[in-house]
Amino acid sequence: MTSEATTLRRIETVSPLRGLGGLLVVELRTWFPWRVLFLTIAGFGVFAMNYAGWRAGNAEFGSLLFPFFGLWIAILLLSVVSLTEGSVLGEIERGTASWLVAMPIGRPAVILAKFFAASAGITAAVFVTGTALYPVLLEASGWGRSEFRVSELTEVTGGPIGMWGRFTSLVDFGEWIELLLALSVFLVFVVAVMILFGTMLRSRTAVFGLGLGVVGVFGVAALAGSFAAASPAGLLRVIIDVSQGRTPSLVIPFVASLLWTTLVLLLAVWRFDRKELS
Amino acid sequence: MTAPAIEIRQLRKKYRKVEALRGLDLEVPRGSICGFLGPNGAGKTTTMKILLGLIRPSGGWAAVLGDDVRTHGLVARSRIGYLPQDPVFPPNRTVRGVVAYVARLYPGHSHGRTLRRRVDGLLDRVGMADQARRRVRGLSGGERQRLGVAQALIADPDLVVMDEPSAGLDPVGRRDMLSLIAEIGGETTVFYSTHILDDVEQVSDTVVMINSGRAIAAGPLESILESSDVDYSVRLRGATEDTLARLTAESWVQNVDPHRRGEVEQWKVRVTDGAAAADRLVSTLLADDGCDVLEFHLSDRRLEDAYLEIVGADDGD
Repeated sequence: MTSEATTLRRIETVSPLRGLGGLLVVELRTWFPWRVLFLTIAGFGVFAMNYAGWRAGNAEFGSLLFPFFGLWIAILLLSVVSLTEGSVLGEIERGTASWLVAMPIGRPAVILAKFFAASAGITAAVFVTGTALYPVLLEASGWGRSEFRVSELTEVTGGPIGMWGRFTSLVDFGEWIELLLALSVFLVFVVAVMILFGTMLRSRTAVFGLGLGVVGVFGVAALAGSFAAASPAGLLRVIIDVSQGRTPSLVIPFVASLLWTTLVLLLAVWRFDRKELS
Repeated sequence: MTAPAIEIRQLRKKYRKVEALRGLDLEVPRGSICGFLGPNGAGKTTTMKILLGLIRPSGGWAAVLGDDVRTHGLVARSRIGYLPQDPVFPPNRTVRGVVAYVARLYPGHSHGRTLRRRVDGLLDRVGMADQARRRVRGLSGGERQRLGVAQALIADPDLVVMDEPSAGLDPVGRRDMLSLIAEIGGETTVFYSTHILDDVEQVSDTVVMINSGRAIAAGPLESILESSDVDYSVRLRGATEDTLARLTAESWVQNVDPHRRGEVEQWKVRVTDGAAAADRLVSTLLADDGCDVLEFHLSDRRLEDAYLEIVGADDGD
């Protein structure tokens, strides 16, 4: 064909990850900056409402709100489920999935690109929000401190509300980062689950509902405790423990969650590889 | 020996209770512009999807340029450019962005200014150079189709697969699309499905007809037309009874279908021996002084006739 195309070459080897780089760049653009910004602003927004209420000394206003942590985590979970429910199924419904896989890219690359991009975006949002808020949380606990009290943080909300108000633990920066890491890894697991559902189900509503259901099940498992450590629920347990002043080991829940996430992701890759696209 | 552009042997596809392909055999030679014809539900789109790796065959074998689409699907697809029936692209991307994005997914793509020049060159070729910065979501159906052609050509494919490329286009859009297909066909193999038989006659040199999941006719367009009965259109005025009787008595005439409009009579003459007809039809018509021949020509809808005849003769079993 055209002379300028002479630089093009043919692939001779088959790699299921062919095209991962190109797809990842595109997927990252769907998360950065707007979705990450949305998640970050949502986090700051929740905190700002609590903080403003406390600053104004308006206990009534503050007491209407949930504790910051709980609300922040809930909003993050809901946002992640909402933002990822259509990541696979939406493309299948629109027809862009067929358009993509008719090109020389491996189907596993499509799934992995979506997973890595969403994971990167969500982790970035959690850490940007979390680390930026830490100095403010210290300030809320009193100038000159290197750790903040969860109970004092709760006072930010106008009074001891919910589980957070029953504890007076100190949270230093290391524990705070550990908490953010646990939260990020749990959200990454949720992303993998949502992608798997997207390859299995035919309705985005069903994907959304089942995704929320999985989050709820692991939330309950985290509160129940006993078997939680060997699952992603262990990460939620770590968050609770840190806030209660305990210093739980993140290693087992972290490793277990990575294994669970890998397993779910492999299932999604397997399912998508066999999916007939119209 | 060079492998054909497309080679399919005993290809089968079953969707639960429906058997879409029932042992399809076909071969598309390299460098051809092949029209892929068949009634709705014949299995055209299913065949194309198998070639593109979108669905898996239930049995049989298919290869693109010698590469088995099941075992070497990625290699095969690296040599195919694909225009879907209703092209859908990421809506927030610009026209230029879509083509550049596709380019990056193919092996050995160019970068930077070289890539941009190539993208802009292709957009110019399909008549969308002035829309390079537009968002895809605002494009009309015809514009999306032209963008689809540009992205299908960006990787310099050895085979371009098009699923009903001119369906839903206005007359101007259809004419432009046919020009593009003819132009592309001068450079690479084009395999396209369509219901519009005039399009096939205009740009194709090869035809494959399928019905009920099996190929019922395939080969160069000329041989398809020769294999079918030939129709002539004749317009006459005057006393035509004797001429009609004389004509229908000829052994090479299958039938004559007369229609009268006022004083003018229009006949559709179907002949079984094209050579005999070419030799004797005119003299037979002019033999009677009382009958004037106003118009005489080979029917301009020959492929349609051949198609209806071949599909009609196939019982689908």
